[in-house]
Amino acid sequence: MRWMLLLILIFLLLLFSLCSAQEKVQLRLVNWAGTDEIAIEERTVEAFERQHPDIDVLYEPNPGRQYEPKILTGLAADSPPDVFLLDSKLILTFTNKKVLLDLMPYVSKLQIDTSQWFPNVLNIARKGSALYAFPKGFTPLMIYYNKKLFRDAGIPYPTSDWTWDDYLRIAKMLTKDIDDDRVPDVYGTTFSNYYYNWIPWIWSAGGDVVSADGMKASGFLNSTKTEEVLQFLINLRIDYKVAPNVGTWVQESKTCALSALFANGKIAMNIDGHWRMPKYVKYMQEGLLDIGVAAFPKHPNGEKVNVMYQSGWCVPVNTKHPEKAVLLASFMAGEIACRIRSVGRLEIPANIKVAEEAVANDPTGMEKVFLDEVPYCRQPWGSIIERFSEIEWIFQDAVDEVMVNNKPMHETMTQYAKRADKALADIRSHEKFEFKPIKEHSEILYFLIAVGMITFFSSLFLYLRSKRKERKIMRTALSFLAPSLLHLVVFIFTPIVFAAYLSTHRWDIVVPDKPFIGIDNFSELFTDSTFWGALKNTFIYSLNVPIAMTISLIIALLLHRGLKGIGVLRTLYFLPSVTSFVAVALVWIWIYHPSFGAANFILSSVGLPPLQWLNSAQTAMISIMIFGIWLSLGYQIVIFLAGLQGIPEVLYEAALIDGANDWQKLKRITLPLLKPTTFFILVTSLIASFQVFTTVYIMTAGGPVRSTDVVVYHIYQSAWEQLRMGYAAAMSWVLFILIMIATWIQFKLMGKEVEYG
Amino acid sequence: MKVVTSWIVFSILCIIALTMLIPFLWMISTSLMSELEVYQFPPKFLPSTWKWSNFVEAMTMQPFGRFFLNTIIVALASVVGQLIFCSMAAYAFARLRFRWRDKIFALYLSTMMIPAIVTIIPAFLIINIFGWMNTYWALFTPTISSVWGIFLLRQFFQTIPKDLEDAARVDGASEFTIFWCIILPLSKPALATLAIFAFMGSWKDFLWPLIVTNRMDMRTVEVGIANFSSLYSTDWPHQMAAAVVVMLPVIIVFFIAQKYFVRGITLTGMKG
Repeated sequence: MRWMLLLILIFLLLLFSLCSAQEKVQLRLVNWAGTDEIAIEERTVEAFERQHPDIDVLYEPNPGRQYEPKILTGLAADSPPDVFLLDSKLILTFTNKKVLLDLMPYVSKLQIDTSQWFPNVLNIARKGSALYAFPKGFTPLMIYYNKKLFRDAGIPYPTSDWTWDDYLRIAKMLTKDIDDDRVPDVYGTTFSNYYYNWIPWIWSAGGDVVSADGMKASGFLNSTKTEEVLQFLINLRIDYKVAPNVGTWVQESKTCALSALFANGKIAMNIDGHWRMPKYVKYMQEGLLDIGVAAFPKHPNGEKVNVMYQSGWCVPVNTKHPEKAVLLASFMAGEIACRIRSVGRLEIPANIKVAEEAVANDPTGMEKVFLDEVPYCRQPWGSIIERFSEIEWIFQDAVDEVMVNNKPMHETMTQYAKRADKALADIRSHEKFEFKPIKEHSEILYFLIAVGMITFFSSLFLYLRSKRKERKIMRTALSFLAPSLLHLVVFIFTPIVFAAYLSTHRWDIVVPDKPFIGIDNFSELFTDSTFWGALKNTFIYSLNVPIAMTISLIIALLLHRGLKGIGVLRTLYFLPSVTSFVAVALVWIWIYHPSFGAANFILSSVGLPPLQWLNSAQTAMISIMIFGIWLSLGYQIVIFLAGLQGIPEVLYEAALIDGANDWQKLKRITLPLLKPTTFFILVTSLIASFQVFTTVYIMTAGGPVRSTDVVVYHIYQSAWEQLRMGYAAAMSWVLFILIMIATWIQFKLMGKEVEYG
Repeated sequence: MKVVTSWIVFSILCIIALTMLIPFLWMISTSLMSELEVYQFPPKFLPSTWKWSNFVEAMTMQPFGRFFLNTIIVALASVVGQLIFCSMAAYAFARLRFRWRDKIFALYLSTMMIPAIVTIIPAFLIINIFGWMNTYWALFTPTISSVWGIFLLRQFFQTIPKDLEDAARVDGASEFTIFWCIILPLSKPALATLAIFAFMGSWKDFLWPLIVTNRMDMRTVEVGIANFSSLYSTDWPHQMAAAVVVMLPVIIVFFIAQKYFVRGITLTGMKG
C-alpha cells in the first residue's frame, strides 16, 4: 500500500503546485445543453470574460441525460462547479439540504438589480428572505394551434376569452376522418396522462391535486371538481375521440409523436411549452407550418391561471470564490446573456427588458401571447414539495387506470389519493434532519487502505498456512492473481465495502455528514411494498434468459454448421449490440406504438385484436422481455459460436466413422463439450437480467403502474432522484444476496461437472 | 429433402437477422435526412434528398476528432489490460490446483452482483482522491480488468485437454511458459471474444466518462453523441450521423476479431 500513499502524495503536491501557479481566478460553469445551446452559451461566457479579464471561466456543457448524477457526484466529492444551472425542482432539493449559497447578501454588495427579473419567476428560488438562484428563463404551458387547419374549416382563431365549450366544439369540428376508415386522420387536440399537461386545466377550473399546505392528496385528487376536469380530458380521447392514443408519455416524449403529428397537420391543437419554439420556428421559416399560440380556455367558474417551469443559476456554499461566482451567476441571468441567448428562442428570458424586446422583434405575435400569460403563472408543486415527481407518477398512473383500463373514476382517484398521502408522509419523514457541519471527504481513503491491507494479509495468511509442498503452487497462483486482485481492491472491493458501510447510514450525497442509523434502512426495506414488487418484476423479467438461450443456441448451431455467409449473419446478429442503444430503443418504442406500431399491424393482419403493449400494466413486462430476448441474442450467439469453435473437429470425424447421426452428435459431443460455455452464458445473462436497467429507464420508466419497475431501476431512483444513497445501498445488498444464492444454486447444479468437462 | 430443410432454416435465420437490421437502417436513413424530415408523419423510411453534409456537420459541431482519440486510447488500454489481467487470473482459476481456489473464485464472481449504480460514487471518490479527474487514468483504469472476462476465459481454459500441459511440464516448462506458449495460443477464439466485448464496453460507456471528466477535450464519443440531445429536443440527423461514424470502428474490430475465430478452429483442430 505504501506506493499508493506515495502516489497520492505526489498527486496532491502536483495539484497544490498547479493551484498556486495560477494567477487568474478560475470558475467552473456547468449546465445542460444541446449542441445549439452550447454554441450560444459559449458566446455568453466570452462576453463575461471580456467584462472581467481577471476571471477565467471553464464552461462545461453536459448532455441533458444524466445531468443529475453528474452534478451530484461532483458535490459528493466536494468538487462542485462554482456556478451551475438547476431547474425549479432541483433547486428545492438542494436548498432543503442547504447546499446552495444564499445570494441575498451579495445582491446589495455587488449592486445586482433584482427588479430586472419577473417577480414571480424570481420568487420560485426564494425561501424566506433568502434567494438561491438567479432565474435564466421560464415557460408557461400554451396551446399551439395550426392556423391552416382552422382557416380550412372556417373556424376563427382562438381568442384570449375562449371557453372550455369552445375548445371541445373546435376540437370536434377539426377532427376528420378523410379516408372513411372510422379512424380519424386529423385530430382536433391531444391528451396524455402526463401530469404537466393536465395540471393547468385543473387549476383553471379551481381544483387542485394536493392540499394548499402540501400535506395530503385525499380530498383533492378525488374531489368532484378535479374528477370532473379529468373526466372532461379523458373523454377527449375515449368518448369524443378527438385526441389520438400516443401511448404513455415516456413513449410520447421519446418519439415526439405529438409534436411530430402537430407539425405535420395531423393534430390541430397541442399543449406544449416555449421549448418547442426553436423547432417550430425552423418549420415556419421553411414555409411548412403556419401556427399560433393561445392561452388555456376559460372555465365558467374558474380563474385564469397557468403553471410555470423555470431554471436558474445557482452557486454552491462551498465554492472557493463566492463573490466572483455570484458575479458570474448574475451575469449569466442578466440582460447581456439573456439577449445573446434569446436568438435560440428556447424560453421566455427571465430578464423583463429582453423578454419585451423579444415580443417587439417577433412578427408572428406568438411571443406576445406567451408574455401576456406571465402574471398568471403559478409555482408548480414540484418546486414546493420535495421529490414531487414520485407523487406525479401516482397521479399519472391513476389517470391511466381510468383512461386505459376503464376503472371507475371516483374509486380509482380515492385509492390513488391514499397512495399519494402515504408517499407525501414518507417524503416529509425524510425531509427534516439535522446534519453535522463536517467537511470530511477523505474517508474513502481509509476504506481503500483497510481493504488493501485485509487483502494483502489474507493472501499472506493463505500462503503461510499452506503446507511446504503446496507453497510453490500457491506462490504461482498468487502471482497470477495479483494484477487482477489489485484492480479489484481499488475499483470493486473498496466501493462494495463502502456501499456496505452506507447501508447502515443515511447519506444524502450532497451533505458530507453520514449519520449512523443502524438497521433502519433494512427495516424500512422489509415494509416497502414497492421494493418487493420491483423484486417480483425482476424475477419475472429474468425468465427471458432460458428462452433467449434456447433460441440463440439453435441459431448458433445452425450458423456453425457452416452455412455460407456465416460471417455476415453473425455480424447481423451482433449489430443491435453495436448500434446506438438510443436508436434501438426508439425503433422498438415505435414498433410497440399502440396506434401506429408494427406490432399491432402484424396482429391485425392475422386477425387478432390490437394490444396496448408498453401502454398497459398487463402487457408492458412481456413487451420489455421480448425486446430483452431480441437484444441479448447477439451476445449469446457470439459466445456460443466461440465455444462451438473450441470443440475439436476430430471428435465429429470419429463419430462419423462410428456412423452417428446429427442428433447423436449433438447430444453426445456438442452439448456436453459446450457445457462450460452454456454455464457461462447462463450465469452472466441471469446476473445481467437481475440488473436490467437501461431498457426500463429508456422505454417505460418503470410504468405503467409500476408494472416494469425492476430492482436496479428502483435503486437508481432512490439514489439519484431521492438522494437516499444509504437506502439504495441497502437494497443493493438484498439484491446481491439473492443473486448470490441463485448463482450458488447454478454452480451446485452445473458447475461441478463443468470442471471435468 | 435435405436441401429444402436447409433452405427453410436459412430463410428463418435471415428473417430474424433482418429484424436486427431495422434499427441500424433507421439510423442510417435518419442520419441522411433533414431535421424537418425526421418529424414527418407517418415516418419516412428514406430521405428525399440524401444530406451527406450531416456527417461533416456532426463531426465538426463538436471536437469529435479529440473524442475519437480519447476513446481509442481508453478502449485500446482496456483491451490490452483485460487480455493480460483476465487471462492471468483465469489461468490460475482454470489450470492451477491450489487451496481455496474455488472460494477465491466465488469471491471474484460475487463482485459482479452489486449493481454499478451503487459503486459508481465510491469509485468516483477514489479517482478524485488520486487526483485523476480529467485524466486518461480515470477513464481507463477501472476497465483494465473485469471479472466477467476472467470468468469467460476460465470457462474456455478448462476445456483445453490436460495432456499438452503435462507433456510440457515433463519437459521442465515453467507455469508461465505453459500459460504463454500453450494455453494462450489455443484460446484465440476466447481471447478474440473478450477483446471485442472489452473494446465495445469501453467504447460505448457513457456515465463513467461523463462523471470523471469536466472538460470537453477529455470526453469520449458516447458523451459527444449524447450532446446532440438537450433536455427539450434531440437533433436526430446529426446525432445519428455521429452514431453511425462512432459505430464503424466497433464493426471493424468485430470483423478483425472474426479472423481469429476461424484461426482458432484450425488450431484446435490440429492439436486433437
